[in-house]
Parts: sequence; structure tokens; C-alpha cells
Amino acid sequence: MSSTFAQGSTFAQPATPIDADLAVATRGLVKSYGRHTALMGLDMSVPRGKVYGFLGPNGSGKTTALRLFTGLLRPNAGTIALFGTPYTWRDRKRLFRVGSLIETPSFYPYMSGSENLIVLGAAGPPTDPRRIDQVLEYVGMGGRAKDAVQTYSLGMKQRLGIAAAMLSDPDLLLLDEPANGLDPGGMVAMRETLRYFTRDLGKTVVISSHLLHEVELLADVVGIIDRGRLISEGPLEQMLEEAGRVKVRVAIEEMGRAGAILRDLAPERPLYGIDSGDQAGWFTVHVAPRRASEINRALGAAGIYASGLEPGSDLESIFLELTGTGTTVHDRPETAPATPPDAPAAPTQ
Amino acid sequence: MRLVRAELLKIRRRQATWVMLILSLFLLVVLFLLGSVTFQLAGIIEFPEAYNGISQFAFGLGGLLAVVYAASFVGSDWNWGVVRNVVARGESRSKYLLAKAAALAIAFAIATVILYLVGIVLAFVAGWLFGLPVESPLRGRGLQDLADNLILGYPVLLERAALGFAVAVVLRSQLAGAVVGIVFFLGESVVKFTLLGATLFQRAGNVIGGDGIELSGPEWYQYLPVSVGDYVVAAAPGGSGGLTNIIEQFLIRPVPLDLALIAVAIYLVLAMGVAIIAFDRQEIV
Repeated sequence: MSSTFAQGSTFAQPATPIDADLAVATRGLVKSYGRHTALMGLDMSVPRGKVYGFLGPNGSGKTTALRLFTGLLRPNAGTIALFGTPYTWRDRKRLFRVGSLIETPSFYPYMSGSENLIVLGAAGPPTDPRRIDQVLEYVGMGGRAKDAVQTYSLGMKQRLGIAAAMLSDPDLLLLDEPANGLDPGGMVAMRETLRYFTRDLGKTVVISSHLLHEVELLADVVGIIDRGRLISEGPLEQMLEEAGRVKVRVAIEEMGRAGAILRDLAPERPLYGIDSGDQAGWFTVHVAPRRASEINRALGAAGIYASGLEPGSDLESIFLELTGTGTTVHDRPETAPATPPDAPAAPTQ
Repeated sequence: MRLVRAELLKIRRRQATWVMLILSLFLLVVLFLLGSVTFQLAGIIEFPEAYNGISQFAFGLGGLLAVVYAASFVGSDWNWGVVRNVVARGESRSKYLLAKAAALAIAFAIATVILYLVGIVLAFVAGWLFGLPVESPLRGRGLQDLADNLILGYPVLLERAALGFAVAVVLRSQLAGAVVGIVFFLGESVVKFTLLGATLFQRAGNVIGGDGIELSGPEWYQYLPVSVGDYVVAAAPGGSGGLTNIIEQFLIRPVPLDLALIAVAIYLVLAMGVAIIAFDRQEIV
């Protein structure tokens, strides 16, 4: 506990100024559990009115960060700002604007779903009792609200957890693995509710999840954390665009012509081609996957017919590549390429 | 107030609340009837002395049950993880804990009144069964005696419950809180009894040496948290303070009521203070 922050009186100076338009911002956030450091200078910026996908492998520090945001833990160093203003561990009233579901949903098992929300609503920000029925309806739990929580399935507890997080109509929702245990219908409903929350009500959602496909469908902005550090952050669309690629296969004898056409489609990005072996004829073009049809059309216009077309790179491949947690990235050539992906582009001229 | 109301709702919905109350009433019935039939003494069920029996139960064994219940009630917030929800909503930790304590105090007050009412009825049942005189509960100073018993016993009950409460908060566990509370409660009685034995042994030496029996004290161990409460309960009309107090009155002076009450208040405040400080500093994982 060496930092001034941990003593609860003053703040460590932020490394970069905190934008008032950010719902959550951290600068140099450090948290240790004994000798293990869970967060090593986390700098993240969550814009207001967006869904922020907070991704990272197990033990990367996601839940620790969420616990710090909700005052459950004290940081060893660094700054957390909520809605543009630094937040201290003792500045609890700032949390009145925050709703959270951290880890597993926890309730009194002997009380009903609505009673749990009544006792929860008594703590923290003033809560309109009518809001209880409203949030239970939001998450589709209106019919089981009077039953004891101990009779609920994991998915139902999860729904109740989301309802509890939304209870005080917060401006910021922090959801840790909210899709845990939800059935497909529940996941769709959650997605729609969170979209309504951000797009229609202008509120902010931070969603930490292992379900990358779910985050990809929902998030506007993504932050990827690994070993306590943020390794990538930005708008999801831009991230997919930058990391996106389309693999296209042409006849070996047409690789030269095809290479010139493909290079014109993405002149500033490297172009990879394989001219020998089983994978011969494959090009990797670094463009957004949605441009696959454009590639096909351009080649077709030149009389070159692709024998294979694979739009690649989704959030999962970006995640695996950045965190190094995957052994094989599915859209990377698996056989020894004549031109390794890391090497300068080969026989395309 | 909304926090206290919420805590009262939790107490009402807890199965353990009703189990504890039914267990207490069952034990009261057994002890009252057994006591009456064994001793066949009119004094046990004759008012105002009958109040002593109820007090001994409500604030003696009842104190032990209060330790267990308070520990399990507050400790369950950690066991079920719900404490996380409350803190993450920005609720003041100390206010939350004080609301819990206030709700427990209300619940214990209601339970005490129920035990007294049932105890009074049982005195009449025992009198009718064994043909013993009971007299009116309003005999003598009547209601004043009843009020004195309640007023003196209730803070003792709260002090004992606060010990279990504090242990559960510090250890963040209902089971640990209840077990440590019981060990503490019973352990202190064993310590006091042992030290009383040592005092008795010393006095016996003095008698053999021809010095005679001379009352001394109060000794330091009479001020221990559970023991000092016994002196408060014993000071109520009809009160004897239990078997240990009856034995020790021949050897050592009891703790004066005013000092005993101050000690009980200090222990109560101290236990709550420890709980609040511990909770305020806790990191919740």
C-alpha cells in the first residue's frame, strides 16, 4: 500500500488528462494481491453512451478492474475517474450512478426475486419501488418474481442479477460475464435490453465476457487486457477493419496479375501470397472481411476466377493473436508458406 | 430507516429466525416444567421470583442463542456474497452494519417479550400441574419488577449478541462467527469457573491457617464480557444471577450494578466499533 491513492486522501497524478466525456477512465491503475500483481498500470477509456467490450484471458485482471470501479477493492496506485471526475474508495455516492453485476449473481436464497430487489433497493441510491416490477419485466422474470431465489436456475439468477444492476436506473452498467447461463432467448433479450440502454437512453455499458461472438454483436468499443495491461483499445469496427483479411485463391499461373489487382485494393497494407506447396495460389489481403465480394468482383472483371474465397478475422482471431492464447489462428496458413506471413510480400508483381 | 426495514424483512424471511424462536420456546417449556417437577419449589414459579427463572433463561441461554443468531445473520452476507451488491451500490458500510444491528436489536426485543409472556403463562401451568402457589405477576411492585427485569436483561442480551456479530464481521463467515462466538461464550465461563476454583482453594488455605473467610473482590475476571452481564441480570428483582453467582457470593463481592452496566455498555460499543472498523477496511473479493 505504497500509493497515495490507497491511503484514501490524495491522488496519484494521472499520466494523461481524463476526458470529461468518458464514463470510466483509468490511468496507471495498479492492484496487487500480496505478491501477485493483477493490474499493472491499466489505462482504459470508456466513452459515454457506448457498449464497451472488456476482453481478456482468465486471470488477466478484468474482474479486479470491475471490483476497483465499484469500490470493493482499493487500488495500490493510479486513478479511476467516473464521468470525468476522479473517484476515491471513500467517494461512495459516485456509485449511485453505477449498476453492476460482478462475477456470479448473489442473492438471499430464502427470499423471492422481488424481495431481493426490495432489500437491495433500500441500499445505495433512492429507488422507486415501481422500478422493481419494471426491471423484472425487462429481464423476463415477471412471472417468477414471487418465487424463492433458491428455486431459480443459473440463467434465472443471471437475469435477476442484470435486473438488480439496472434497479436504480444507472448511467453506467458494469456487467461481468452477463451471458453466463443464459439460454439463446435470454442472450437475445439481454442484447436488445443493453442496446436500448445505450442507443435509446444514452447510457454506458461495460461488458466483460468470454463469449467473443456475443461481444462482437454488442460492443461499439473494445478493450483487450492481458496480464494486467490494456494491450488494445478502440472502436470495434475500426479494429476489425485494421485486423481484417480476406483470403482468396487463384490459379498459380494467374498469381502475378491477380497480385497487381489485389494490391490496388489495399495499397497501404501488406499483401501475402503463396506460390508453392499445398497452399499455392492463396493470397491474404488485409482488408475488412465485408470487402470479400469487392475482391471477387475485381478479379472477375479481369477474367480471373477465384477458386476459394474466405473472409477472415473476427474478434476471436484478433483476441487470440493479441493475447497469444491461441495455438493456431484459423485464418493463418498452416503449412509452411513460401512467403511467411511476417515476411515482406512475395511473388505478386 | 429503509435499511432497517429491509433488514427486518430479511430477519422475518429467514428460516433460522423461526427455528431459533421455536427452539427457545421449547427449551423454556422443558426447563420450566422440569425445574418445577424436580425441585417442587414454590419459589421457582412464585412471582416476582419466577421472573428470575425467565431472566436466567432469556438472558443466559438466550444470550448464547443470540450470539449464534447474530453471527449467522450478519455472516451470511459474506457467505452468500450479497455484501458485494450493497457496497457496489454505494451504500455506506457503517450505516449498513448499524442498520443490521438495529434490526437485530428490534428482533431480540420482540423475542424477549415473547419469551417473558410464554414464561409467565408457563409459571401458571406449572403451578396448576404441581399444585404450587404462583401468585400474581403483578404482585408487589408487579409491572415495575417485570420492567426492571427487561430493562436490565436486554442490554446484556445485546452485548452478547454484539460479540457474535463482531466476530462474524471480522472473520467474514457465519459459521466461523457462530463457532467462535460459542467458544468465546462457553470458554469464558470455563475460565471464570477455573479462576473461581483457584480463589476458593486460596480461601480454603486461609481458613485452615486460621484467618477465616473474608470477602474480597470484585476480581478482574468478574469483569469479563459474559460474566459481567450475569451481575446485571442478577441485580433485577428476584434475580440470583445463576449457580456460579450463588456459589461465588460466599467468596467474592459481586460487581456493583452501576459498574457492571458501564462494562456491558463498553463491551457493546467496543464490539460494534470493531465490527464497523473491520468492515470499513475490508476489501471484498
